[in-house]
Amino acid sequence: MRYLARRALWTVVALLGVSVLIFLLVRLLPGNIVDILAGTEGQLSREQRAAVLREFGLDRSVPVQYLLWMRGMLRGDLGWSFRSGQPVAELLASRLPITIELAVLTVLAVTLIGIPLGVLASVSRSIRVKTLVQIVGLLGLSLPSFWIAVLLIIAASHLFGWLPALIFVSPWSDPWVNLQQMFLPVLSLALGLSVVVVRMTRSSMLEVLGQDFIKVARAKGLSARAVLLRHALRNALIPIVTVLGLQMGYLLGGVVITEQIFGLPGLGWTLLNGVYQRDYPVVQATVMLFAVTFVLINLAVDLLYTYLDPRIRYE
Amino acid sequence: MARTGWDRGRGLSRRDLLAGGLALGGGLALGASARSARAQAAGAPRHGGTLVAAAEIDPISLDPHTNSNFSAMQAFDHLYESLTMYDEKTNVVPALAQSWEITNNGKTYTFKLRPNVKFHNGQTMTAEDVKYSIERVLDPKTASPWKSWLDAIKEIKVLDPLTVQMNLDAPYPLLGSFAGMRAAGIIPKGLAERENLKIKGIGTGPFKLVEYVPQDRVVYARNPDYWDKPLPYLDGMVFKVLHEENARLAALRAGQIQYAFLSAQGAAQLEGAPGIGVQKSPFAWVVLHYINVLKGPLADARVRRAMRMAVDTNEVIQKAAFGAAVPSGPVPTGYGDWYLDPKGLPYVKADVEGARKLLADAGHASGFKLEIKCSPQYPEFVATTLVIQESLKKLSIDVTVTQMEWGAFVAENAKSNRSCGREGSDVYASANTFRPDPDGYLYPYFHSKGDLNKGGCDRPYPRVDPLLVEARQSANHAERRRLYQEAQRILVEESPNWWWYAKFNIEAVTGKVRGYSQSFTGRRLFLKKTYLA
Repeated sequence: MRYLARRALWTVVALLGVSVLIFLLVRLLPGNIVDILAGTEGQLSREQRAAVLREFGLDRSVPVQYLLWMRGMLRGDLGWSFRSGQPVAELLASRLPITIELAVLTVLAVTLIGIPLGVLASVSRSIRVKTLVQIVGLLGLSLPSFWIAVLLIIAASHLFGWLPALIFVSPWSDPWVNLQQMFLPVLSLALGLSVVVVRMTRSSMLEVLGQDFIKVARAKGLSARAVLLRHALRNALIPIVTVLGLQMGYLLGGVVITEQIFGLPGLGWTLLNGVYQRDYPVVQATVMLFAVTFVLINLAVDLLYTYLDPRIRYE
Repeated sequence: MARTGWDRGRGLSRRDLLAGGLALGGGLALGASARSARAQAAGAPRHGGTLVAAAEIDPISLDPHTNSNFSAMQAFDHLYESLTMYDEKTNVVPALAQSWEITNNGKTYTFKLRPNVKFHNGQTMTAEDVKYSIERVLDPKTASPWKSWLDAIKEIKVLDPLTVQMNLDAPYPLLGSFAGMRAAGIIPKGLAERENLKIKGIGTGPFKLVEYVPQDRVVYARNPDYWDKPLPYLDGMVFKVLHEENARLAALRAGQIQYAFLSAQGAAQLEGAPGIGVQKSPFAWVVLHYINVLKGPLADARVRRAMRMAVDTNEVIQKAAFGAAVPSGPVPTGYGDWYLDPKGLPYVKADVEGARKLLADAGHASGFKLEIKCSPQYPEFVATTLVIQESLKKLSIDVTVTQMEWGAFVAENAKSNRSCGREGSDVYASANTFRPDPDGYLYPYFHSKGDLNKGGCDRPYPRVDPLLVEARQSANHAERRRLYQEAQRILVEESPNWWWYAKFNIEAVTGKVRGYSQSFTGRRLFLKKTYLA
C-alpha cells in the first residue's frame, strides 16, 4: 500500500512536469494561430492581430495562461480548440476510441505473432529457422512502420484492388467493416513491433531453458509441452510483458503517423494537426492524455509482475 | 475523359475573355454567360447520386470571413455565395446580385439583389443580410484577412429589401470582382453571433452542410431551393480528408472516390489506369521567391536580375513541377489576357555569360553569400530553391538553403514583413494564388502605398506606381491590359520577386463523373454542374 501511495505521488509529479514542458514547448514553436490564419499571402493589421490574440487568451502572460489552463483542467475543462471552436474534451472523447482500438488490436496482434514465433525459434534446432528469424528480425527492426504502411496501401490497391471503406465506421455500428478498416493499420504497426517480441521471447526462453529447474522438470518426466509452456514460458514472460507494456507506450507515438497515412481520425491525427495549426489547447490536452496513459500502463505492468512472479513484492 | 493540356489552356479564346473583361471593367452586369457554358457541358445531365471525393487537406475553418486559407475556401465554397461569381473563363458574372450600377463618379455602387433566394435554413435573403455580412468583414474585431480588399467601402445602405447601396470614399473599379470572392460570402443576419461558423454553415450555395467532422470529412447535401435551377445535379457530396497522395491514388483505383487533386507524379502513376480521367490546365498558382530588396547586394536590381538570368526556368519546371507547368510573369499565365506571353517572357532561358557580366557591373563579380528559406510542407518550393542554389554556383554565389516547418516559416515571413525586412532572411520561396483581378498581383505588392509592400517600406518603383494607379482608374479593358503588361515587364526587369511558373491544376475524376470543368481559380467551383452518368 505504501508503495502504491509513493508511486501515485511520483505519478502526479511526473504529470506536472509534462504539463509544464508541453505548455512551454508549444509556445516555443515559432508562429502562432494568428500567423497560421493569415498565411504568407494575407497580412493582418496590428489591431487585427491583437483582436485574435485576445480572443484566444494569448495576450496574457505565459504563467497566467498556464495557471488558467491548470485551473480549467482541475475542473475538468480542457478549453476550446482555437481552430474549430469545439470543446477540447468533446473532441478528444470522439477521437479516443479509435486510437484505443488501434493500440489494443496491435498489441493483441503482436502477442499472437510474436510469442509463438519466439518460442518456436527458441526450441528449433534448425539452422535455417534461426537464420530466418535473424534476417526477418533485422528487417523488421529496420523498416519504419510508416514505410510499411505505404507499401501495404500500394500492395492492397495494386495487387488486390482492395481497400476498406473510406469513412471510419465504429465497431459498435458495423464490426466487420470496422475490422477491415483496422486490418492494414494494425498490420503495419504490428509487423515491426512483433519482431522485437520474437527476439525478446527467444532470448528470454533460451535463458530460462538453460536453468536447472527445467532439467528437473524434464527429469520428472513431464511432457515436453508442459515443460515448455508451463515452466519455461511462464518464467520467461516477465521481460516480454515489460516489452509489450513499453510498446503500448511507443504505439501512442506510432499511431500519430499511422493514423495520418490511413486517414483514421484518432488522437494521433488530432495531435499532429493541432501542432501544424498551433492549436495549443488541443496539443496540450492530447499530450497530457498520452502522458497519463503512458504512466498508467507502466503502473499496470509493474503490478502485473507480482502476478507473474509471486516472489516479487512491493514494499 | 480526355487529357487537356496547356494548349487547351491557351485556347481560352482571347475574344471571350475580352468580352468578359469589358463587362468587368465597365462594371455593368452581363448575365447568362454561365448558362451557355453549362449547356455545352455534356449530353443530358441527370439528377441524383452522391460524389465521394478526396480532400487533400483538412479545411482549417468553414467561416468565410475570418481566414484566407485556401483549404477553408475549398470547403465553404459550396455553402456560400457572394454578390458576384466567376464563370468557367474566370469572368465576373452576377450571382446573388442580378445587376449593379456605378454612379457618383465611381463612388457609389448600387446592387440589385436576386429575388426569392433562400438560405439553407429556409429564410429569404435580403439586403439586410448583405449589409450584415460585408460589415462583418469590415469590423476590425472580426480580424478578417479580406478586410483590406473591401476597405474602400465607407457606408452600406439598405434602400429596399432587394437593393443595397455601397458608398466609397474614392473610385474603386475592382469592387465588382472583389465581391465575387467568398471574402464577401453572404450569411443570414446575426448568424455569426448564434452559431460556431468554424464548423457550421448556412448560406445560399448549391449544397447544404450536413456534417463537418474536423480532420475527417465534410458531408454536403443538395440544396433543393437553389436559385440557379436545375443545379445542382448531385444529391450530395462527401469530401474525405486524405493527406497522403498514395492513399488518394489507391482510393481512386479501388473506386472508393470519384475525384482527387493530384501532383504531376501522382497523375503519372495513373497512366493507363482504366476508367480514370485526368484534367489539367494552368491555374492561379505562381511559384516564386519573395526577395528582401532592402539590404545587401539584393538591394541592387542588377544583382537580382543577374541571378534570375543564371537560372533555367525550364529546369525549374522539370525538377519542381515535373514538367506540369508553364513559365509565368507576375500575373499567372492563363489568367484572362492579362498575363505576359510565356513565349516572349525574358530571362526564361539561362544566360550565364550575360549574368556574369551584369553581376560584375554591379560590383559583385566575386560573388557573395545568401540565405533562402523554404518549407518542406511544399516540396515544390524546396525543389525550386535547390535548382537556384545549384545554378547560382556558376556566379560564385553561395546559397544556404534553410528548410522550416510551415508554421515557423509563415511566422518568420510575417516578422520580416513587419520589420521592414530588417529581421528575417534574404529570400523566401512561396507561391501566389488567385486574385480577383490582375491588380491583386501587382498593386498591393509593388505600389509604394500597397498593403503587402512591407507596410510601405519597400523602395518604390517610380515607373510602376503611375501605371498601377492609372490601371485602377481606367474602365477600358484594352487600356488596362496595356498598362498591366507594361508594369509587369518593368517588374520582371526589376526582379523584386523571381516569378517562375504557373502550375497545372491536376484533377482526376473517374469515368462516371460528367460535366466537371476546372476553374482557373483552382477552386472546385463547378461541382454544382457535375453529375454522375
